[in-house]
Amino acid sequence: MNRAPTLNAAGVGSSTRSETAPILRVSEVTKSFRHGLWPFGARVAVLQGASLEVGPGELVGLVGENGSGKSTLMQIIVGLLKRDGGTVELDGALGYCPQLPELWDKLTVAEHLQMFAAAYRLDDATAKASTDRLLEELGFARYLDYRVEALSGGTRQKLNLALALLHEPQVLLLDEPYAGFDWETYLRFWEMSAARRADGMAILIVSHLLGERERLDRIYTLKDGRCISS
Amino acid sequence: MHLELKPTGQAARLFVREQLRSPTTLVLLLVLPVVFVTAAAAVLGPFATALGGSASGHAATALGAGWAAAFLAGALGFFQTVSSREADQRLALAGLGAGHTAVARLASAFTLALAVSATAFLALWAHQGMIHPAHIALAILAFASIYLAIGIAVGAVVRDPLAGSLAVVFIFILDVFSGPGMTKSAHGLSMLLSPSRKAAELLLSAGAGQHSSTNNWIAAAISTTVAITVALSVF
Repeated sequence: MNRAPTLNAAGVGSSTRSETAPILRVSEVTKSFRHGLWPFGARVAVLQGASLEVGPGELVGLVGENGSGKSTLMQIIVGLLKRDGGTVELDGALGYCPQLPELWDKLTVAEHLQMFAAAYRLDDATAKASTDRLLEELGFARYLDYRVEALSGGTRQKLNLALALLHEPQVLLLDEPYAGFDWETYLRFWEMSAARRADGMAILIVSHLLGERERLDRIYTLKDGRCISS
Repeated sequence: MHLELKPTGQAARLFVREQLRSPTTLVLLLVLPVVFVTAAAAVLGPFATALGGSASGHAATALGAGWAAAFLAGALGFFQTVSSREADQRLALAGLGAGHTAVARLASAFTLALAVSATAFLALWAHQGMIHPAHIALAILAFASIYLAIGIAVGAVVRDPLAGSLAVVFIFILDVFSGPGMTKSAHGLSMLLSPSRKAAELLLSAGAGQHSSTNNWIAAAISTTVAITVALSVF
């Protein structure tokens, strides 16, 4: 496994990855999509043997041009898309924050948190503690009784992120999770990520901003359907 | 499938709440059955005569109640499925599981179908009274259940809201004009085009103050069960 030296701009903890086995291992994943109506359309290969690994306590970036297949790879890892070939091995609970907030417009923030706490099988005390912590960290407790349809884009994104973190998973997949965040929340997001990384969470984050690279332990660049580690 | 009641029940309850928070849905639930029932005798009768069918009077009005429940349940099933697909998938991935999420979604949709059926039943009762209320209630519920399943199945397959809603309406119209009371016979193509044929036969009999045969009851139960099973499996 090709691993670069750990960089941690937030200054919280250091990676333990060299001592531990990967908790997420993606090997030689392939995926193509058909464009145009059958039988006239053609298949376009998006992933052509993409491989990556993330260990406990690692904050790993996945970058690439628009349309390079970053979100496709994320969706394959979480199981939303079927892969054509390759393997995905995951050891532990998974949290997933999709690029666009996938929420129910007519339900409130509190109802979303309740529903996901139940889906994660959290007991009442754990659910409350985790909810309180996330509301505090992301600063949106006052919106608890608001319906999603009444929230701003940034607050929806906070809820989107909170739902992925509610059960404090071992592996966290974030697909550009800070779209719509103001600067303060953006910085707080990286602090949260660094804190969880220090606690041993494996985090894979799709990012396209060069300025974020120094916050990451390692970066995979998705190009021509393959992941290049740097 | 081992069904964990707490998370599944909670999801179903919140899904119902989500639907009831749409004022348009509530208005349609109340108004449409009344319109269908009051207009049915006047509209369905001439249509049936023109097509060589026999629906008229109280039977046609009873059929209108069934169609009201069917149409609303189909629309509710379709739009629930389409509008919540991504969020439901995320909930399933979070740990509820695809099967439990489908059960929760279907349970919430069925609750609304039950409400639609009750409204149609009450509108029919208020409009013309009824001799066999239990018979009519079950037939209306069968209509709603079959179309709920059709709506969910279309929503699971067709992602575009306009295309999907047109598909549901198309199935509904074919069903109306090839159903019993609207056609001379129940053979061939009309049998295939009318998924709610058996429920309609029950309703026509009850609306005319007659009993239905055991075979009709069994056939209607089978139609309903098959429709719900298909919806659950494609969701």
